[in-house]
Amino acid sequence: MTAEVVPTLEIKPAARKWRDSTLFRVAQYTAVRLVTLFFTMMIATYLTILIANMGGYVDTIMRNDIRERVTQNVISTSGNKNLDPDARKQLIESLIAQEEQRIGLNTPFAIRSVRYLSNALTLNLGRAINMTSDSGSKNIRLIILERLPPTLLLMGTSQLFLFFSSVFFALILSRNYGNIWDKLVIALSPTSAAPPWFYGIFLILIFAAIFKVLPFGGMVDAPPPDNIFDYSMNVLKHLILPASSLILSSIFLSIYNWRTFFLIYSSEDYVDMARAKGLRPRDVERKYILRPTLPNIITNFALLIITLWTGAIITETVFLWPGLGRTFYRAIGLYDTPVIVGLTIIYAYLLAITVFLLDFVYALVDPRVKVGSGR
Amino acid sequence: MKINKLYSVLSLLVLLSLVLAACAPATATATEAPAAMTEEPVATAAPTEVATEVPHTDRHGGWLDEIDYSVVASDSAISQVQAGAIDAYTYGIPSNQLDAIKSSGLGYQSYFGTAYSILMNPAPLKDTTKLNPFSDRKIREALNWLIDRNYVNQEIYGGGSLPKLFALATQLVDYTGVVDTARILEAKYAYNLDKAKQVISEEMTSMGATLGADGKWEFSGRPVTLIFLIRSDGDGTRKPMGDYVSNQLEAVGFTVDRQYKKSTEAAPIWQASDPTEGQWHMYTAGWGAAGLTRDEKNQFEQMYAPNSQQGVQPWLSNTAIDPELQKISDDLAQANFTTLEQRHDLMAKALELSLQDSLQVWVIDTKLYVVNKPNVLLTNDVGAGVESSPMNPFNMRYTDKEGGQLKIGTNDLFTQAWNTVGGSNYIWDVALMKNTAMGSDFAAAGGTVGDPFTGLAWNQRLASAEVTVQSGLPVTKSSDWVTLKTADTITVPADTWIDWDAKAQKFITVGEKYPNGLTAKVKSVVVYPSDLFTTVKWHDGSPISVADFIIPTIMLYDRAKPDSAIYDESAVPYTKLVQGYYKGFRITSTNPLTIENYSDLYYNDAELDVTTNWPNSAYGLAGENGWDLFAISNLAEAGGELAYSLDKSDANQVEETNWIGGPSLEILSKYLDQASSETYIPYAPTLEKYITADEANLRYANLKKWYSAHGHYWLGTGPYYLDKVFTTEKTAVLKGNPDFPDLSDRYAGFSTPKYADVQLDGPGQVKIGGEGTFDVTVTFNEQPYPQADVKQVKYLLYDATGALIASGEAQAVEDGHYQVTLTADITSKLQAGSNRLEVVVVPIPIAIPTFTSSDFVVVP
Repeated sequence: MTAEVVPTLEIKPAARKWRDSTLFRVAQYTAVRLVTLFFTMMIATYLTILIANMGGYVDTIMRNDIRERVTQNVISTSGNKNLDPDARKQLIESLIAQEEQRIGLNTPFAIRSVRYLSNALTLNLGRAINMTSDSGSKNIRLIILERLPPTLLLMGTSQLFLFFSSVFFALILSRNYGNIWDKLVIALSPTSAAPPWFYGIFLILIFAAIFKVLPFGGMVDAPPPDNIFDYSMNVLKHLILPASSLILSSIFLSIYNWRTFFLIYSSEDYVDMARAKGLRPRDVERKYILRPTLPNIITNFALLIITLWTGAIITETVFLWPGLGRTFYRAIGLYDTPVIVGLTIIYAYLLAITVFLLDFVYALVDPRVKVGSGR
Repeated sequence: MKINKLYSVLSLLVLLSLVLAACAPATATATEAPAAMTEEPVATAAPTEVATEVPHTDRHGGWLDEIDYSVVASDSAISQVQAGAIDAYTYGIPSNQLDAIKSSGLGYQSYFGTAYSILMNPAPLKDTTKLNPFSDRKIREALNWLIDRNYVNQEIYGGGSLPKLFALATQLVDYTGVVDTARILEAKYAYNLDKAKQVISEEMTSMGATLGADGKWEFSGRPVTLIFLIRSDGDGTRKPMGDYVSNQLEAVGFTVDRQYKKSTEAAPIWQASDPTEGQWHMYTAGWGAAGLTRDEKNQFEQMYAPNSQQGVQPWLSNTAIDPELQKISDDLAQANFTTLEQRHDLMAKALELSLQDSLQVWVIDTKLYVVNKPNVLLTNDVGAGVESSPMNPFNMRYTDKEGGQLKIGTNDLFTQAWNTVGGSNYIWDVALMKNTAMGSDFAAAGGTVGDPFTGLAWNQRLASAEVTVQSGLPVTKSSDWVTLKTADTITVPADTWIDWDAKAQKFITVGEKYPNGLTAKVKSVVVYPSDLFTTVKWHDGSPISVADFIIPTIMLYDRAKPDSAIYDESAVPYTKLVQGYYKGFRITSTNPLTIENYSDLYYNDAELDVTTNWPNSAYGLAGENGWDLFAISNLAEAGGELAYSLDKSDANQVEETNWIGGPSLEILSKYLDQASSETYIPYAPTLEKYITADEANLRYANLKKWYSAHGHYWLGTGPYYLDKVFTTEKTAVLKGNPDFPDLSDRYAGFSTPKYADVQLDGPGQVKIGGEGTFDVTVTFNEQPYPQADVKQVKYLLYDATGALIASGEAQAVEDGHYQVTLTADITSKLQAGSNRLEVVVVPIPIAIPTFTSSDFVVVP
């Protein structure tokens, strides 16, 4: 045996300097993070495809659904009543074959699933199987774009109001821990156990059916007003009940959560120290309580912004609000995989981008955090 | 401390109220077995509307100035009409809300919804250690006695639906034709738990099963378990119905495995699995209603025979049908009868045999309800509802004023693209489209209009109509507007257009395609009035023209030809089907427009055999279509930018042609500019004979003006025009068409269905061997029902055991007054005790008969 000399990689000082530089560290971190996020997203999307298709079993469901639907249609069409039975049977078989071909059931699911995935990752949303946009198009981009503004309006109004008012009132309550308002919020926080649609039904009953001051549902009166101002006012009128139900169902618990969160930070030693030093309460709150909680607040806010995308499935249904939540629900009911994947992939991209950016935002707002320092 | 306690109590109260609210008992659950055997009279839903005097008017088109359609959740529909948010909700509300509807004080009407049955797997199982009781026909038959349909109706459907025993729609045209047989069978198969138990016990024992000590049936030492697929989705009524039937089966010793499933979960099992594997035994089946159909002769083949069009499914294709039922269902489906009497006898026999076979046990014909404010009048199609009613657009109005704005709520809108070739056929879209058309349905094409109460058709725009049928075909007529003739042979003239040459863009004549001649079973000749082309206008102001009558048929053929610029593979099966029976048409005169049609497809009613070639959909969809709209849509499809059908749009990855919204509109506008600049005439080798350059220029100019004013391309000739469409808001605005040729009151006589109100009075006591006379009073709105409007007053006499003793016709005394005389011969057959006389009044103006009965005591 001869001793083998292992060659050592000699790193020149300049290279070592470059590898230790902040730019290299950030670039490396960025690359690793992007690759990780991409693969996470890919796996999540493929899992969505598999789940939405029940591992391919949806094909069996759809084949039988097509058969039942086509047969019923042909039977119940009065024009076919007097046709020769064999002719009817042939018609049914041809229509079933056509529909199966149209949907793509003739291609194995494994191949289709890969196609769905590659289309999703490249944001080629393609066409829906069964769903159409409100204007009759099967283009998924149009299906989503048509429903996006109403969803953003409803969710944006309610969630932003909820977020800012919760933080605002929570701060006040944390300053006045134990007073009557604090106790009232604690007492009312279990009301959030009921979902928004529960409040929605009551609100409809009170304000639409009994007092007749607000509409039962929809986004605008029929017929919609002609000019933009009246139209906007009309939409706002229709927004009151669904937005209120979303807010009502969460407001007390949300305030309670934030208030508890602020209280925990308020009782840190360094806050006591600041108070002992005689700093003004306002400075203590801004510099010693709010500052360290900022990453959490920003994270919550950023995640809230992207959840606006998902809509509120049942609340939208109760109020017939033409949002993305109902679109998503309908797509699931119709096993419309391209639409489900389209909505999911956009959410996945938004989530990945947000998570990626948040790392940098943390570093900006909190001097203790250093991007890529964890390697 | 006290305050803290107070808050704690408050918190608890809030929590408690939430929990209580969540735990509130659900209404209308019915799974308990009925306490007693009761037979309740079948309720015929009476209309709540009172016929109102229709003032004479000079108004043209519909009665209203504006109709606003919007989408409303059916759960809140009654509240919304009550609150005045909408004036009517025209989509069907299930009958389990009938109490709420009645107590709301609103107007309401009913129509037929889904029919539910218990479908059984009739196959013996591969695994011989297991037993499928339903492979025994007598056990299937016994389920008829096991199920109390009246209980189901009362407890699950609020008493607002109809108990059902037969494949025929209960109380509709064909049912009424065989009502005496039906009533005998209904009495025979009335709820009888003891009888069900006895038959099941005998049959199970003969199949080798034994009753265990616990009262449960066992086979090969294991309990006989029935896998029951119970649908939990849809209107939600199949779940309590399935639970009730399960309870009943358990009461006679079966073990039931209740599997609650959605449609998509159940279908692969009951439709696709091998029935001999026994993955299921029973399924809560639902069958869509076909509306007010006058001909249900196919039903027995469809529902029981392995050669049914549904027979491709394993559960049906493997069934061992009774040969006699097979033959009769075949004879009916293939119209192997030459007289209506023969047809009647076949139907009556099929009723009996189908109950003995009971591959499925029918339970309920559901009824759906439409609601409206009391001062709103809607014309309901008694079979298919307001949204399918052909007369509703003409009659819909306020009863206390002329004109006005009506707000209608429905279930959904714009579910698919709108075009009359391959577009939306959803009922809510169809309801809206019907308002814009002169008439559009296979059985009531434009030029004629469907009767919402009988399913027949009435003349709308024809100067005359003549139908000639081959001798021996059982075709009759009910109205004077059509002439019915017979001929031994109907020869199709050589110059009749029967096919299409897509290359030459010319029709192929019968002479070219069938040099040896061709015959048909039916010939229809319609003559339009001489002022047709000046009085009927499209909504954009363009007069209707001959080319509008020709182009739908060209489209039907052309789209199925590979040489065509708009060839669509998905159009081939339907066109082939039509060409299988349709023998062509020819225009014998353009002034007045006279069109002959030839076909092998015929209906028993001559009114429905009239073919008009009106410019509406050749595919049975709602709406109308002018040649100019087809011209630009065809250019867009030929240019590869749009496609009429979903299949082609998917295959070519292009938008489906949509005349009311979406990306289609811009594309269509581009081709409209092109067509306009070129004075384009579609299918010029054929149509340039009928379209002048001036007409083409006028059409395109008007279409452009229409689009810039209304933002869509949906045109018609009907009583309302589509003013505005808001697809995302799911709202549409229709406005009255002042240029419509007819006055608004033209169909006022069809506003309200003339249900017969029947009262039966007679002696409370009759002696055996004595005579008894009963008076039948038939009224409508408290006025005598004219004899001329009553087809038949039939009586059925049952003895104390419920057996039918006699039946016959009541004698007319005067308008609205009939008498049933029970002679000594008849009463001598009765037994002492409580007997029952039932009367069925069959009016002519409405297809739904009225039943009433009276009990009387027979003494020795």
